[in-house]
Amino acid sequence: MGQYDALLKPLTINTITFRNRVFSSSHCPGYNKGGHITERYIRYQAEKAKGGLGLAQCGGATGVSAENSYHYGQINASEDWIIPEMKRLTAAIHDQGAACTIQLTHGGRRERWDSENWFPAFSPSCRREPIHRAFPAVMELHDIRRVQRDYAQAVRRAREGGMDGVEMSFQSATLVEQFWSPAMNFREDEYGGSLENRVRFGLEALEEVRREVGRDYLLGIRMPGDEMLKDGLSQADCIAIAKIYAGSGLIDFISVVAAQGSDAVSSALIWPSNWVPPAGWLPLASAVKAEVDIPVLHAARIADLPTANRAIAEGHIDMVGMTRAFIADPHLLKKALEGREADIRQCVGASYCVDRIISGHDTFCVQNGATGRENTIPHVVPKAETRRRAVVIGAGPGGLEAARVLAERGHAVTLFERETATGGQINILSKAGWRGAMQGIQRWLDQQVNKLGVEVRLGMEATAEDVRAFGPDIVVVATGGKPNPGWFKGRELATSTWDILAGRVQPAETVLLYDENGAHQGPSCAEYLAKRGVKVEMVTPDRAPLLELGETTYGAFMKEMYQAGVVVTADQRLVHVYREGNKLVAVLANTYTQQEEERVVDQVVGECGTLPDDALYFALKPFAINGGELDLRAAAAARPQALESNASGAFQMFRVGDAWASRNIHAAIFDSLRICKVL
Amino acid sequence: MIALLLSIALATGAVLACWRARRWSVGRSAPVAVLRGALRLPRGYFHDVHDVVSRDRYAARMHVLAAGGFVGAVLLVFAVHLFGAAWPPLVWLLMVFLFAMALGALYVLARRWPKAEARLSKGSFQRLPWSLLAFALFFFWASLPQAGAPPIDWGAPLAWAMFALGVWGAAEMIAFFPVGPMKHAFAGALHLVCHPRSGRFGAARPDSALRALDLSAPRLGAETPADFSWNQLLGFDACVQCGRCEAVCPAFAAELPLNPKKLIQDLARAMDGTGTDARYAGSPHPGREIGRARGGPRAVLIGVDAMIHPDTLWACTTCRACVYECPMLIEHVDAVVHLRRFQALERGAVPGKAPHVLAELRETDNPGGHALSSRLDWAADLSLPILAEGGECDVLLWLGEGAFDLRNQRTLRALVRLMRRAGIDFAVLGEAELDSGDLARRLGDEAIFQSLAQRNVAILDRRAFSRIVTADPHVFHSLRNEYPAFGGEYTVLHHTTFLAELLEAGKLAPRAKPEGKIAYHDPCYLARYNGEIAAPRAVLDAIGAERVEMDRSGMRAMCCGGGGGAPVTDVAGKRRIPDLRMDQARATGASVLAVACPNCANMLEGVTGARPDVTDIAELLDRATEGP
Repeated sequence: MGQYDALLKPLTINTITFRNRVFSSSHCPGYNKGGHITERYIRYQAEKAKGGLGLAQCGGATGVSAENSYHYGQINASEDWIIPEMKRLTAAIHDQGAACTIQLTHGGRRERWDSENWFPAFSPSCRREPIHRAFPAVMELHDIRRVQRDYAQAVRRAREGGMDGVEMSFQSATLVEQFWSPAMNFREDEYGGSLENRVRFGLEALEEVRREVGRDYLLGIRMPGDEMLKDGLSQADCIAIAKIYAGSGLIDFISVVAAQGSDAVSSALIWPSNWVPPAGWLPLASAVKAEVDIPVLHAARIADLPTANRAIAEGHIDMVGMTRAFIADPHLLKKALEGREADIRQCVGASYCVDRIISGHDTFCVQNGATGRENTIPHVVPKAETRRRAVVIGAGPGGLEAARVLAERGHAVTLFERETATGGQINILSKAGWRGAMQGIQRWLDQQVNKLGVEVRLGMEATAEDVRAFGPDIVVVATGGKPNPGWFKGRELATSTWDILAGRVQPAETVLLYDENGAHQGPSCAEYLAKRGVKVEMVTPDRAPLLELGETTYGAFMKEMYQAGVVVTADQRLVHVYREGNKLVAVLANTYTQQEEERVVDQVVGECGTLPDDALYFALKPFAINGGELDLRAAAAARPQALESNASGAFQMFRVGDAWASRNIHAAIFDSLRICKVL
Repeated sequence: MIALLLSIALATGAVLACWRARRWSVGRSAPVAVLRGALRLPRGYFHDVHDVVSRDRYAARMHVLAAGGFVGAVLLVFAVHLFGAAWPPLVWLLMVFLFAMALGALYVLARRWPKAEARLSKGSFQRLPWSLLAFALFFFWASLPQAGAPPIDWGAPLAWAMFALGVWGAAEMIAFFPVGPMKHAFAGALHLVCHPRSGRFGAARPDSALRALDLSAPRLGAETPADFSWNQLLGFDACVQCGRCEAVCPAFAAELPLNPKKLIQDLARAMDGTGTDARYAGSPHPGREIGRARGGPRAVLIGVDAMIHPDTLWACTTCRACVYECPMLIEHVDAVVHLRRFQALERGAVPGKAPHVLAELRETDNPGGHALSSRLDWAADLSLPILAEGGECDVLLWLGEGAFDLRNQRTLRALVRLMRRAGIDFAVLGEAELDSGDLARRLGDEAIFQSLAQRNVAILDRRAFSRIVTADPHVFHSLRNEYPAFGGEYTVLHHTTFLAELLEAGKLAPRAKPEGKIAYHDPCYLARYNGEIAAPRAVLDAIGAERVEMDRSGMRAMCCGGGGGAPVTDVAGKRRIPDLRMDQARATGASVLAVACPNCANMLEGVTGARPDVTDIAELLDRATEGP
């Protein structure tokens, strides 16, 4: 077990002492509503503070001005009513020994104009940003002064609300970065043109802030280390800016990010998934650290403690962000401190959390069903009063989670898996190039299940008789699904994405990949094929490809597919496949006009989700007290299940995950967690 | 004829006794209150020695019969056969003693024939039951006339045979009393009288503090036997080779190259003119051949080709199990540390990582080389009150080296929470706290220890507190028992004692009972060094723990392997000491192995495989008293 001396070394910046070097960077999990801080958000932050964080940076993109919008669940710090709400948040974090800051942000052109107060977005110049798609109003001098004063007032509110400090967001191509970046600032006045002019707006804003709150209040900025944008700020430009700001004496720390997130690919860089290697952007922060004499913070894809410790120990940065690592396991550091490092559920970089944010949903972790649901689901599963006998069939993520939670409850659990390895569909999806890290989900579950003494029977297809022979009190059917062959004629001629990725079917020379799912499976397979030299056309009946994917994974997949030469076609439904010689003809119909066109290919690969593998479920149904029925209201509130429809039944039975309906990993894990934690 | 025999035997015995005693004269002088020692002898024997002997019921019965019979018989043999006091009741009494002696001899015989117990030395000791029997038989026979039987016909062949037996018996029991197997009684009695630790007799708690070394002496520590005090040398000669030390030594059990019995024998044999271990007939230092050691009264003791291999010296964990079990009250650990002092201070020959650790201690005042200002790093969010110079508090919490270690920070955190829960006015020294010096001292570097002790005393003297509490038994022992020699007289409590007090006073109220069985592992420096075995158990009982005991517990607990600098000298054995200890814990079926020492926590937590959780008493109490 590592000692993590560097990571656990307290650090004092300005007047605030952090108990260790680990922080969670500001983000919007989507739990706040209409700019107000919710109980859910407070519990979410407090849980991570309890888990050992040194610094909980709150309120991603917290608004400061009347024109700011709150559709991602941002906090609104532009009015004084926020102060008491902030006080409750900061008290909850301070109670757990962590410090907290809030990130104040004016989004500039990165705002919706059609919400909140319905003012236009503002920017130094009028250029449309592809994600928010606003045509911003060009800021006049009175707008500049107004926003600078707004910043200062928002910092005052943060201080009055008990925040230990403020991080001004001069990153992710928000307003100040829009002034900095030659790709976004085309002004010809004293706020545009030369670097000196472009940095002026931000410096003046900081001066305004310092006039309001004084020098002894912790204040930092978050900024790019390289915009990674054509005509934008290069690494050298960013370092020059960092030196100017650090040298101004106005700020206490700099937090460094990569890229700027103003389009899908840039989003995939600034909020990196496992598409970016671990600690991939650390060199950018390290380069800034080498040039400035104030502490440098950095967060991006640093998911494990050894890497985090090295980043500090080797002097690259002063504090390390483990934001998503704490979403995956809010008790991460606590576990290490308690000598339970092996119990840490490590972030696999699936980016399910951040993609949900950008899509305007609330954040959840792909593998941890409790995060963001602290109100109803505790992170530590409590013991049941009586030990019961449980059988779980299927050791995919849903089955493994069910076995884990039931074992945590203290029940005697037997887990059947017909394959010779656990993991289910994770074994298939992790075959796709950069998604190998997803294996971490099942590695952790496997390890926990073994530790908790679950009897795991691999390579055994359980029959209803096998299950009943155990005399179980609880049966969880997590048999998953089988590939859905789709609804087109000639579907027996098509192969599935599973068969390709699992290596059961050799790829042919030309492939039409029909994606009627819109999630990861299609592009994973397309990329897999194209990188093996296959000519791939990916066709979808939806209005755009990959509609189920959030911004960051979407950006990564699209870039990989385009680079590998995949042709992407939207609005076409596959209606018929037939053989012609040694080729296959695929007939596509336009979704709107029904006009048909044909493709002649060697192979058709279909991705239409899964169909439940439910034979065992139905075989067991007559013996279940509840007939397999789930009390949805009770499950939604995570209350115990008490349905009884079959007096002669011998056990409660539930089906979870794809055995119920084709969904995703989180759904399977969450099904199991919320049902099993009260069994 | 018998009188002549006795006279010759007695004269020979006296000459040999003087010759034997000359061996000890090479040793350094030592102040010994001989008269007081002599007066102490009966109580020393019947109380201190017998307390140890009686732990082995069989040996106790054997010794009462054989030794009691022998002493009584010898006195009466002289009275009856040398001085002619043939009063029949006296003769009958003599015969009773001789009968008891013979019975004792049979006890001796039974544990040596046909096969001797492993821990016993063989060699001349194998003759002992026979010579005891010979002596008893002959004098029984020879006393029959005085008891009323017909006179002996000295012309008969039976008489010749019996006389031959008598000559041999008297030679073994009287003439060679100071040099043969009976030497233990001779040297043992003198050892009791002249014991180097007179403080251990009749003391309320173990006399375990190392004596301060005069650092201005021309030679520091022991290079040769002559560097020990004469009464220490006498003590080595008292060894009866019963092997009780060998049976309890953790290093021997793990097959590190140390057998404490052999170590004492090496020291005793080095006093011979041409010292060799060739005639040693007990178990060797594991992995080391017998017959290769060479030495002499003024020859170097420690060396690859000397009497004692350096690995043997550095394998000792200073756990004092040998000292606690020795019926001859020999002070093995004092000898080990004295030898180490020479190696550390005069030769700079400390092995493994020890030189690095000592260098860190010298330069940074802590063995890990941490900045002292970082001792509170783990507690940045606890805002611990710091006792500044001139400041005052009730309890001074001495954090120790555990504050630099992730595992033991948990213990400290729990202890701080408990103190706050109990409303204790406490403070810590912060960066003013230096290492206690325990590690340096056990490694023989007395100079570092004394420097740390003196400076810590100066630091403590500038602050006001009523008592010191520490979760580290090594710190506890140093501060409580070894600092007084440097002017630091404090009330020092181990945290388990303190917590037991808080529970007793109702300042902490356990509400949650721990699940499963809990076994408690006694730290050597708390139990054998300080006699505290009740408080930790009282805490466990107070929280309603289902407490189970390992076979070896309390004063007789087995060491975790973490004391005496053993983890840094790191002498290899066949197994690891903590693995052996953990096997004993596993055998109890406990789900938690409770500890009360940072070294134990680290050593035992380092054991791989399925095992009980290693949890400090403070952590258990913290969990049990946590608020809703």
